[in-house]
Amino acid sequence: MPVASTNRREFLQGVSGLTLIIGSSGLITACSPEQAQEIAETRSTEITPNIWVTLASNDSITIQFPATEMGQGTSTSLPLILADELDADWNKVIVETVDFHDEAYGNPFFQNMLYTAGSLTIQAYFEPMRRAGAQARRLLMQSAAETWGVPITEVETEPSIVTHPASGRRLSYGEIVANAEFPETLPEIEDSELKAYGEHRYLGHDIPRRDMLTKSNGSAQFGIDAQVPGMVYASVLRAPVEDEEPIEFDGSAALAIDGVTDIVPLPWGVAVVANTYEASKWGKEALSVTWSQTSRFREANLESDLEAYVDQVENLSQTGTAWRETGDMSAAMKDAVEVVEATYRTDPAYHAQMEPMNATASVTEDGKAAEIWVSTQTQSLSILGAAEFLETTPDKITLHPMFIGGGYGRRTLRRQKYVEDALLVSKAIQKPVKVIWTREDDLKDGTFRNTAAQCLRAGFDEEGHLVAWHHRVAAPKVLEYMNPPRWEASGGRDVIVMLGSESSRYDIPNFLAEHILTERHSRVCAWRGVATSYTKFAAESFVDELAVARGMDPLQFRMGLCHNNPRAMNVLKTVAEMADWSRPREDTALGLALAGYSSTFAAGIAEISVDDVNGAITVHNYWLAADAGYLISPKNSEAQLEGNVIFGISNALKERINITAGEVQQSNYFDYPVMRMNEIPNVEVRAISTNNPPTGMGEIGLASTGAAIANGVFALTKARVRHLPLTPERVLAAIRG
Amino acid sequence: MTNFTVNGQPIEVDANPNTPLLWVIREHLKFTGTKFGCGVGQCGACTVHVNGTATYSCLTPLSAVEGSEITTIEGLSPNSDHPLQKAWIAEEVPQCGYCQSGQIMRAANLLETTPNPTREEIVAHMSTNICRCGTYSRIIRAIQRAAREV
Repeated sequence: MPVASTNRREFLQGVSGLTLIIGSSGLITACSPEQAQEIAETRSTEITPNIWVTLASNDSITIQFPATEMGQGTSTSLPLILADELDADWNKVIVETVDFHDEAYGNPFFQNMLYTAGSLTIQAYFEPMRRAGAQARRLLMQSAAETWGVPITEVETEPSIVTHPASGRRLSYGEIVANAEFPETLPEIEDSELKAYGEHRYLGHDIPRRDMLTKSNGSAQFGIDAQVPGMVYASVLRAPVEDEEPIEFDGSAALAIDGVTDIVPLPWGVAVVANTYEASKWGKEALSVTWSQTSRFREANLESDLEAYVDQVENLSQTGTAWRETGDMSAAMKDAVEVVEATYRTDPAYHAQMEPMNATASVTEDGKAAEIWVSTQTQSLSILGAAEFLETTPDKITLHPMFIGGGYGRRTLRRQKYVEDALLVSKAIQKPVKVIWTREDDLKDGTFRNTAAQCLRAGFDEEGHLVAWHHRVAAPKVLEYMNPPRWEASGGRDVIVMLGSESSRYDIPNFLAEHILTERHSRVCAWRGVATSYTKFAAESFVDELAVARGMDPLQFRMGLCHNNPRAMNVLKTVAEMADWSRPREDTALGLALAGYSSTFAAGIAEISVDDVNGAITVHNYWLAADAGYLISPKNSEAQLEGNVIFGISNALKERINITAGEVQQSNYFDYPVMRMNEIPNVEVRAISTNNPPTGMGEIGLASTGAAIANGVFALTKARVRHLPLTPERVLAAIRG
Repeated sequence: MTNFTVNGQPIEVDANPNTPLLWVIREHLKFTGTKFGCGVGQCGACTVHVNGTATYSCLTPLSAVEGSEITTIEGLSPNSDHPLQKAWIAEEVPQCGYCQSGQIMRAANLLETTPNPTREEIVAHMSTNICRCGTYSRIIRAIQRAAREV
């Protein structure tokens, strides 16, 4: 991952408009004399037409990447959008990750924070990137036309070169930057001047991802790989239950271990500092700590807490916060001649990202400034959260964003406890400190996909039309826990809990999806697919139940509900073709789910069998069709879909966190197993490119999996399993009624 | 002092003999391509070759490698051009990439003993290693490609 230079940071900061050009002279006056000297020696002439791109006289083109690369491929695909519109030679493009907090670079879906989540990077930045590229290209064309004394209408571009076909003259972008004068104000770009879908040189053409080599030879630098001169290590013994604290501790045995230098008490645990990681870990294991016993979380027990959520969600007198409301659901339900109801349960799930949480920090003597190395999904919140924690200002935090060993929502919180561990210890001992959580720490202190109980109700009129839909989700305020300021700005609409319950593809006149607020019993966080792993499990299982109630084929029933939605119809038809939906199977059965979200459409079909002795489900095949609009990177889109299907099936079949007396019962991959290679089904995916604005592809494949499998189980056994994960015990219990 | 070689280079390490080889490689010697995932031999992210055999470095104490030849991802090929690495790039296997050093080291061991593995042999050999991003089918394709192109 390229590291942004400090110099660039300083001259770009505060540049928020699109009318500023900084040439080499302007750049020098903006810096200290020492920096100016250094820049003059190392940098060629540059222009920065807008905040996104810098063109240099040596022909290099530097594009700012405002997200984080965690496997979804946007560190290639996002700059590629700009490069395509700029008509840049992609081989001359340098990609720099934005490593400071500046709302000019922020994602408008996330209050202009630098924040990579919800599959919203391409969706948010497609237009700005296109315009920035087109604007820079126009500037270069104008300048070349003036140099040649020809009208701009006579000049064209090929990768990184402006040409004048009539005279055969050519100037490289770098030559133009070196010699030309540029105007004070920049050209405005009209929509009609942007390349149309299908006209792109790079988009849609499978340009290889740039992070493949470093991720195949061990040189990619993840957060855990940070190496800082003078660095020491800390391991933290954390309170076994949220909100507890150490009352007293005995560190003598830890201090007796060779290499252990310090014991640092923290509000939530005790840190052992050592010259080596292993000594810090052995020291942690040698600690004796007495914990407080006052936390309300000691009463948390998953099974009873989930049943309390069920009581709330089934109690219709308890109203919630509307997530999506159209028509008059209550009146339509009252008038309905047939009402169907079902309740669905979901256990918490763990991200199980391969890189355990870790951070390296170096805090100044006064405790008011810090340098941080961390794998983060949000540069902004890592900086703002650290600044709040140290009671300082964000400009005092220097962040080194690193590659991420799996995000899936885990690294999106405002309070990043692993960073706070490192900050507190570094502040106490005045050295750079690397803190690495063990896998056990990562689970015991995990922030899980929340527990949820959902009640679905549907009303049919006399003609058998589905006229009323009611989706109640009982869950805690997850957004409030993740990021209080964002919760305050949300108007009580918790996207982390509710996404997917809008079921907006279906034409149902009277609709209410609402969030029934419950007490929080564990740490919670967004999880892959946001809430869709459970909202779509419930909604699409329920659609199947309705089809059965009407005596209809599940595919035909869905098509009847979304006949006005051609994109939804298209993914349904495509996936049905892929699976050969109407062909009868002998010992297996198919289950279908229509489960896109936001602006991406997707449908999945699972082919499953059930072991009638032990109840275990086997998924033999999974087909998925997705339409995320105009495809930027078809091959990578398919890779994302494939991986998501695996992630989703893993979750649907076996992933489950249990909490007893406030303590997480799982501790490592042996008791929180995730899918391995010998368990995967045959997965076939199709990413359909359509002439619509590009939307998210990084999580969409997961949303259909739970319902498609459960619907397949019903098709095979006539048993409805309404509790995720679909464990063998639950399947057997459902079969036995 | 413990003596062994890493990627052909003689190394002398002054560390507690109980230290897992993983931490010696990563934090003492700074070969950070080898990754920590679970610490208990469940995920395979820490896989290195000890005397040519794929080994969980998280479960291997330093004392066990006296005199051994250790190869990490950094030493698998001189120019990142091992057939598996080329295949990994061609198939665009990695997503987050964190597990891939371990996957490649595990796969390299397979191809040394079984130059033309069947799909079943690949799956049986590779199921020790977890990829949370779900790149398994591409790992299989890349191993098959590398086997073809050796």
